[in-house]
Amino acid sequence: MNVQNLIHAGTGQPHGFNRRDFLKTTSAATLGALAAGYPRALLAEEAAAKIAPTADTVIVLWMGGGMAATETFDPKRYTPFEKGMKPDGMWSTFPTIDTAVDQIKITQGLERVAKVMDRGTLIRSYTAGDLGFILHSRHQYHWHTGYQPPQTVAAPHIGAAIARTLGPLNDAVPPFINIGQRFDVGEGEELKAFTTAGFLGSEHGPFNIPYPHQAADAVRPPSGMSPGRFEDRNKFYKKLLASSPVGEFGSDYQKESLLRSLDNAHRLLSSPAAKAFDLSLEPKESLAKYLPEGVDPAQAASAKQTRDGSYESQTLARFGLGCLLARRLAEVGARYIEVTTEYIPFLNWDTHEHGHEKLTNMKKQIDGAISQLVLDLEARGLLKRTLIVLASEFSRDALIEGKPDKKVKDQVPVPDTIDDIKNYGMHRHFTDAGCVLMFGGGIKGGHLHGVTNDERPFKTLKDRVIIEDLHATIFHALGISPKLAYEIEQRPFYVTRDGLGKPITSLFG
Amino acid sequence: MPYQMKRNSYSWAILALLCGQFASLAKMTPEQTAKLPTPALHSVNFSSEIKPILEASCMKCHGRGKSKGGFSIETRETFLKGGDTGAAIVSGRSEESLMIELVMGFDPDSVMPKKGSKLKPEQIALLRAWIDQGAKWDGGVTFGKLPPQNLQPANPALPAGADAFVSRNSIDMILEGHFAKHGLKPGEPVDDRVFARRVYLDAIGMLPTPDELAGFLSDPATDKRNLLVRRLLADNQRYAEHWLTFWNDLLRNDYKGTGYIDNGRKQITGWLYEALATNMRYDRFVRELIDPNSESEGFAKGILWRGTVNASQTPPIQAAQNISQVFMGVNLKCASCHDSFINDWTLADAYGLANIYADEPLEMVHCDKPTGLKAVSQFIYPELGGIDGNLPKAERTRRLAEIMTQRQNARLTRTVVNRLWARFMGRGLVEPVDDMERPAWSPELLDWLATDLTENRYNLKKTIERILTSQAYQLAATPATEQGKDYVFRGPLVRRLSAEQYLDALSSITGVWQAKPEAQVDFLAGTPGALTRFAVPVRWVWNSQNAAEKAEPATVYFRKAISLAEMPASALIVVSCDNSYVLHINGKEAGSGRDHTKPNLIDIRKHLVKGTNVIAIAAVNDLAAPDKKESPQTSPAGLICYARIRTEPAGARPSLEVLDFASNASWRWSTNKMDNWTKADFDASSWPNALELGDSDAAPWKLGKKFAQVLSGAARQGLTRASLVSADSLMLALGRPNREQVMTTRATIATTLQALELTNGQTLAEDLKKGAETLLQSAAKSTDDLVGLTYTRALSRSPTPGEARLGAELVGTPAMREGVEDLLWAVAMLPEFQLIY
Repeated sequence: MNVQNLIHAGTGQPHGFNRRDFLKTTSAATLGALAAGYPRALLAEEAAAKIAPTADTVIVLWMGGGMAATETFDPKRYTPFEKGMKPDGMWSTFPTIDTAVDQIKITQGLERVAKVMDRGTLIRSYTAGDLGFILHSRHQYHWHTGYQPPQTVAAPHIGAAIARTLGPLNDAVPPFINIGQRFDVGEGEELKAFTTAGFLGSEHGPFNIPYPHQAADAVRPPSGMSPGRFEDRNKFYKKLLASSPVGEFGSDYQKESLLRSLDNAHRLLSSPAAKAFDLSLEPKESLAKYLPEGVDPAQAASAKQTRDGSYESQTLARFGLGCLLARRLAEVGARYIEVTTEYIPFLNWDTHEHGHEKLTNMKKQIDGAISQLVLDLEARGLLKRTLIVLASEFSRDALIEGKPDKKVKDQVPVPDTIDDIKNYGMHRHFTDAGCVLMFGGGIKGGHLHGVTNDERPFKTLKDRVIIEDLHATIFHALGISPKLAYEIEQRPFYVTRDGLGKPITSLFG
Repeated sequence: MPYQMKRNSYSWAILALLCGQFASLAKMTPEQTAKLPTPALHSVNFSSEIKPILEASCMKCHGRGKSKGGFSIETRETFLKGGDTGAAIVSGRSEESLMIELVMGFDPDSVMPKKGSKLKPEQIALLRAWIDQGAKWDGGVTFGKLPPQNLQPANPALPAGADAFVSRNSIDMILEGHFAKHGLKPGEPVDDRVFARRVYLDAIGMLPTPDELAGFLSDPATDKRNLLVRRLLADNQRYAEHWLTFWNDLLRNDYKGTGYIDNGRKQITGWLYEALATNMRYDRFVRELIDPNSESEGFAKGILWRGTVNASQTPPIQAAQNISQVFMGVNLKCASCHDSFINDWTLADAYGLANIYADEPLEMVHCDKPTGLKAVSQFIYPELGGIDGNLPKAERTRRLAEIMTQRQNARLTRTVVNRLWARFMGRGLVEPVDDMERPAWSPELLDWLATDLTENRYNLKKTIERILTSQAYQLAATPATEQGKDYVFRGPLVRRLSAEQYLDALSSITGVWQAKPEAQVDFLAGTPGALTRFAVPVRWVWNSQNAAEKAEPATVYFRKAISLAEMPASALIVVSCDNSYVLHINGKEAGSGRDHTKPNLIDIRKHLVKGTNVIAIAAVNDLAAPDKKESPQTSPAGLICYARIRTEPAGARPSLEVLDFASNASWRWSTNKMDNWTKADFDASSWPNALELGDSDAAPWKLGKKFAQVLSGAARQGLTRASLVSADSLMLALGRPNREQVMTTRATIATTLQALELTNGQTLAEDLKKGAETLLQSAAKSTDDLVGLTYTRALSRSPTPGEARLGAELVGTPAMREGVEDLLWAVAMLPEFQLIY
């Protein structure tokens, strides 16, 4: 809890909650949870050694749909569009640019991220799992839980594992907040399958905010209900409860847990921390820094789901607003926040067609958003204890589906020659090398990890990073052992698969 | 494969390698020998001193049917024989014994035991002495597999004197012993009101309506509770809709979910609903899931995601896991990767069952590493019968079904009666309910319930009736805090409404239900006679008497005028015409159809008006299809339609006023298409009446069942229960699982996210708003009535004077929508509403 003081010492903001009440309610809640047979934590002796945390909050920036490394943070030779060019001769479709760090180059369109590269570490050797014939949502499940579906028990999302293990940083802010993903889209059912606390229990599950500009609604009285009426309704409920002859039914933990959960919800809704959800309270000029130039955030509300380019251009603001929301929530003590560019089949990072055009738009979306998030957290003294992780389920390549030595079934034909601009920057799914960016939370600045081939296949040559180790690194920053397990059906379920994850300690400063 | 064993098996492999090579040299160095604890000096007693060590530290991997590293301590012979790395001991020479070397842990990579704490020096001293003294083994001691529990049929005798109390429920007679043993005196049963609420929720998942409740309370019959239970269980539709949730969870069946995207999953909804509505015998139910037909195969097929699947999650392995868990209360999940550490199941057991479902013989894979060993098809309890692995797959599954559903397999019945007991009492006779190798707290009761189910021809409703009519079930609910090892049955635990029960309960207060069923089910299943139970008679009609045999090709214009005193709440019409038709309502085209084998369901409400309405159908008889060589001059012709028109009458109840009409001789026809013939002001009084050709099941169409099914689906529109629709965010928050895994117990603890969804979630807010509007339009006349009605519907009781006053203040006089909304919300948040007492 020193941690919390630390965080808020940075901003000088009061939390606005009564700590003693919180302890009272949570300890009772924990008792209830035990009685309900909630999973118990198990930790092998060897793993129980205390890890000193370097971060209290994690923000995952999710590049859903497969972000092509060669078009973003791992530039290869620039090959401009020429009618009739061979797909094999199509490498990066963007020129290389310098960053604040000499040995790190990235691609055009990410100029603002380039300026903050000295605050972070770039991993180029992230290797996705071998799951055969590719399904994006299945790889996303693997990334987010560390396990491949299907599973015999409902595997928890990493956000839920963190929420379960560390609890809320500020009890008036849900510990796992998930921003920007809708579930009524293609593969929505598969996305739901991992956007869950699974067997850890819904207490630790995601607080979903599909539209960041409507985040305030999630912590406001239902629409059409004034705050006054909302308060009155609650007061009425208390009176009704007091006058109800429920006493005749005695007292038990079921009843207690119902009442406590309502109190918790009401406290969250009436807490000053709830203001953090309201983006309209952000000064216009600081909001604008998160958005591509000339984009009106109001347009995000009218975003349509079509497969032509109009979708992306209308929604360019959404990710930036999500990042801004993440910053505001980190300021009031959120534990785990995920912001996604949103996965929708064939849109956004899913660059099968109109790749170059889509990538240009995606970079516009993320460039200001990411860099401003880093700078704002730094300015508030929060970057030190906030770990930002930018990742994607896998990378992409124009030719190779899967890995050079483990090709899987092709899903999209590659033309013999690139004649149409719509095929420029087209990609299949590539799992052998992808980029992960990490900022803050004890991670080194200006550091590069992993080496990839300079010629096709652009595979990993050195310092391969797999999901178990990436997760172990995130857990390590939070002071959690990769061997931590929760008991389900009398067996241990480890936070990294089989407890095998090894933190990449060389990334820590 | 969420388990750490992979790593261990890996180090095992290394150990095996090293020790295999150096087994003959497995002597400790003199330095190591010097470190050994001195052997105990006394004469060691095997049973009291050695056996406990072997049990605690060795048996998990080397006993109970398991032989890690080829080493088994099952008998002295297997013990002395040793494992892959050589003899375990050299009798008489402990300082040369591999076992001692390993328990000393000189090599940190090969210390024994692998799991748990190291042996203490005094334990090693005992082992040394035992070896030195010749490793004596007491006769009869083995560490072999224990005989299975709860497997064989038992023939439990009822307690002495049972005959004298023929009227008493056998469950209560058996429990007398339980109460006596714990020095407990069972209390009085709950009163009629509490009983009614509890039993309605448990049998059909709904709250009693005020009328139903009043009827029950005023019934003077002494056995009215038993009668009520029977009546509820006889309500096949509401029973099936309620139990669909329980079995969907168990059989992981859902209307949406992973796998469907690549045809890697199949629903069994239609089959399941019908099985429940017709109360299919449980042995047949299980047989049809294990040895499935095309409607029931989804369960055994499992869920397949696109891409490659880990060996421990292939469809045959999923089948093995799910069949053993759901029907036998056996957890094979661990054993699907490696010999289990939490029970005695082995990799060979899991693969033996899985192999039955495999198209090709399976090779056993140990934690992702192929073993080179082929699986042998067999049931997990081979003593119940063998399966010839050479048989084709269909024969193997048939044989498996035979083995599992024979009377000798009393685990099948014990598992399901235990699940039902747990459902009604909040906790099983055996707990956890998926671990049926554990003893029941009342083996007599478990055995009796299981035997009773078998004797009653596997009639689950009979078992449910037994439990719900027992005094045990009718005891006061006890706080659910008393879980855990010290649990002693004192009565049902306080339970929480499931997500589906909660939403249905809300619907029955507000009258606002789910829009329409997503589950594709036949609502007529289990309702014999429904075919003829149309509110008004419906007939095939045409303009000639023998049109069912032959009629000229023609378009016949049919017409019917109806009068509506007010706008109906719902209006749907089912139409079928041989060969095609166009439907007009009040001059506007409302629908059409060309396939008389598939009756159309059309919503006509928006076309209707208060007053006179005209339904006009242009019905076409074509000749045979043009590809037929000999075109006949005539063909059968007929039109049939049924309109279901309901108006919600003033005065509460969700039952609606019937204004149905259907095709029959009251319709009029013409073969001339006249101007404005579809409009209300057209005078058709000179048109002749239609001729009736027969009822809906008349030849040649024999459409009766299908017609009624479509109509019954229509009847459920706007009255759909939560179990029949996909989960929304509110249901998920309230604990409805996404059915990716078999789910036999739902979490019931209230969570903050849940409370948020209830406090400011849009779904509930909108339901309450609609509910308040509906209540205000239709229900109570005064504010007091409205508060009273809400309480009676929600809590099965009248408000106390204090509650009535508070409620009236909030609702306002006259009643305001917002006030009603807030009252509904507050009542729906009360523990008294959310819990089953």
